Amino acid sequence: MSFWKTIEDIDRRWVYLMVGLAVIIPFIFPTEFPISITPETQMLYDAVEAVPDSSTVMVVFDYYPSTIAECQPMSVAALHHFFRKDCKVITLSNIPLGGPSMAETVTRRIAPLYDKEYGVDFVNLGYKYGYVAVLSGMGTSIESIFPTDNSGTPISKLPLMDSVRNYDQIAFIFEVADNATADYWVSIVNAQYGVPMCCGTTAVGAPKYYSFVQAGQFVGLLGGMKGAAEYEILLSKPANAVLGMGAQSLVHLLIIAMVILGNVGFFASRRNKRKVTP
Amino acid sequence: MRTTVPVAIAFLSGFLMVVSFFFREEATFIGGLSQNLLIWLTIVGGFTLLLGVVSITRVNWNAVKARKEGWIFKVFTLVSIFAMAVPAVLPSSWSPLFGRAEGSIYDWLFTYLDMPMMATMFATLAFYIASAAYRAFRARTAESTILLVTATVVMLWRVPMGEAFLNQFPGDIPTFLNTYIMNGANLAVQRGIIIGAALGAASMSLRIILGIERTYMGKG
Amino acid sequence: MICRLVYSTVRKILDMALLSRPLTLVCLVLIDSQPVLAQTSSDGAFRTDRINALILIAVFCAAVLLYTRWARQGRPLFLRKIPGLEAVEEAVGRATEMGRPVLFIPGISELDEIETIAGISILGRVAKITAQYDTPLTVPVRYPLVLAAAQEMVEQSYVEMGKKDSYDKDIVRYVAGEQFAFTANVNGYMMRERPATNIYMGAFFAESLLLAETGNAAGSIQIAGTARPEQLPFFIAACDYTLMGEELYAASAYLSHEPLMLGGLKGQDFVKMLIVAAIVLGVILVSLNLGGDTFLEWFEAV
Repeated sequence: MSFWKTIEDIDRRWVYLMVGLAVIIPFIFPTEFPISITPETQMLYDAVEAVPDSSTVMVVFDYYPSTIAECQPMSVAALHHFFRKDCKVITLSNIPLGGPSMAETVTRRIAPLYDKEYGVDFVNLGYKYGYVAVLSGMGTSIESIFPTDNSGTPISKLPLMDSVRNYDQIAFIFEVADNATADYWVSIVNAQYGVPMCCGTTAVGAPKYYSFVQAGQFVGLLGGMKGAAEYEILLSKPANAVLGMGAQSLVHLLIIAMVILGNVGFFASRRNKRKVTP
Repeated sequence: MRTTVPVAIAFLSGFLMVVSFFFREEATFIGGLSQNLLIWLTIVGGFTLLLGVVSITRVNWNAVKARKEGWIFKVFTLVSIFAMAVPAVLPSSWSPLFGRAEGSIYDWLFTYLDMPMMATMFATLAFYIASAAYRAFRARTAESTILLVTATVVMLWRVPMGEAFLNQFPGDIPTFLNTYIMNGANLAVQRGIIIGAALGAASMSLRIILGIERTYMGKG
Repeated sequence: MICRLVYSTVRKILDMALLSRPLTLVCLVLIDSQPVLAQTSSDGAFRTDRINALILIAVFCAAVLLYTRWARQGRPLFLRKIPGLEAVEEAVGRATEMGRPVLFIPGISELDEIETIAGISILGRVAKITAQYDTPLTVPVRYPLVLAAAQEMVEQSYVEMGKKDSYDKDIVRYVAGEQFAFTANVNGYMMRERPATNIYMGAFFAESLLLAETGNAAGSIQIAGTARPEQLPFFIAACDYTLMGEELYAASAYLSHEPLMLGGLKGQDFVKMLIVAAIVLGVILVSLNLGGDTFLEWFEAV
């Protein structure tokens, strides 16, 4: 096989090895580059800042543990932001696999930093099957869909829920999703009940939601780990997302280099073929 | 009967939900009925999760009994299911190891086994996308060249290192990309696909409500 | 029976010549609904602020039913070629020649997702082809309800092709309830059995690239279809043919050519044209400052 043909068809295992090294090296030799803020993230930050202090908000954990690297920094940053503003936070999930557990773990980790008390300042409603039914049903009565919280306590016994009946009492919804549940939130909750909301999603899903941001249905958007890093910078709380930028940068550059190399090999092979067969 | 009853239920449920959209839930009988239907859905749906456990237990147990190829892995599957499920449903008042709170068996297995395994599987996407991009992004035609160039530039823009590189060039390339690529071409295409897919889904839903489409019953 | 009842009701309305001039009707309703829209939403039990949605639903249903009627009357309805669907029979033929199985995944979502129903509908057609050619078929599924529906569909297909003896209940198998456990299982199957043809039709999420790339490594010809825009790039990069968005929903009608299905397809195309016309009209009105705000307000209420 000619050299150019080899370049054009590198064994995928070499590609995997290079990607592995590109991920590991930045953690051993960390580098920092300035992270600029995209307009969508700035809009999200400004919208959350504009939520009146002490309002009741929802933070939705609609992501699986598989996307924890991209989505968890968003939910952590959101909780920091809302607790800093003394907002009352209701968390819930439409993901049966781990959603309620992650909501529980994250809120219980962040809440003590702001002296927040469960039941008074934050509540975890947990998970219920059938996200369309859940989202539609909460428009009339949250208690009819979630009669108890995640640990089985009747929500009538939770002081925070005394003043919350349905979406009318929710000032803002921060949806963190790695799947299509964000579509249902915007089409059911925002479109029908007019609750302002924003979305944090994986980099793969973010391009789809630009249309919702432009239409004003989402007031802001966090796209992938970069979006989470931007949000952390705005909150002055750099954490895991900012740390991950080095590895993400190097892998992106590696993929670009591989694509260029592959094309060089492709064109060189094609030219050689033309020379051989006039 | 086996066909007529499900079709009738599908029609009545679908029709009710469509009509109730135009009536106030708290002020009308039909609105209240639709709210009840939604609650029933969450209850019935919970039983489908139970159905999944029963199904996977039956399938794997039969495979173990028949000593099919790879039966030992089926044993691991069954042990894993019950090791997580049984302690989770037992009352936490019996022991702090039961239930789903922090420190329970369920929580430990989820946090230290399930989560890392799921995150690892998702992480393999990075390797797969690298090999897919290397293989697929070839400038064979004009369209694929545009795809290649756009993808390269967007990949650069989405990371700090790449953005720093793009800022070396004259003109505000990152803003151009955000305005004309992400909020221009990308937005238009995504919207077109979303509208088309939504209409397709609406058409299919109408066929299901009217009983024309019976695939959900396994009938062609 | 229910379909006939609704259809005859709509037909009576059509025969009253109201909807035979849909644009006129829409304009009349638009003009008449202005004072209605101006009412606050707290008036009465009927949501007057949603009357626009009612109009659109009525137009949509009328279009679907009208085209269905025309299709049943035998009027030729044009469908453009969809390369991915044209390739299905050829791909199954390839599998038959190579003596290797066909792998079909009807998405990884529940039965209540429209995409899964579309996927199972296509499975029925593919099962007929594999039954005809006696090609081994494997259908891994993620949910028990999907298992039940898919099993019935495949069995019915084999029976219709007169190959009841060839049908095996294990053609459709329940793999795992968790997304990546399912993916790992299917990937392992692909690398061991090396299916000649992989068909992915339905709702897919992060595992789309894992499946498609593994299929590519196994040397399979791959046809994919999903309505998830975020997964389309992965399928396009790794598969030979990709059905985008509503092409997945059209697949059932395309493969069967049943009048009822074709009518639905053409009806939704008609409504899409109305939406395109509304977008163009809106752009012109807003750009030339000709009362575009009023036009936009009407759509905001939907």
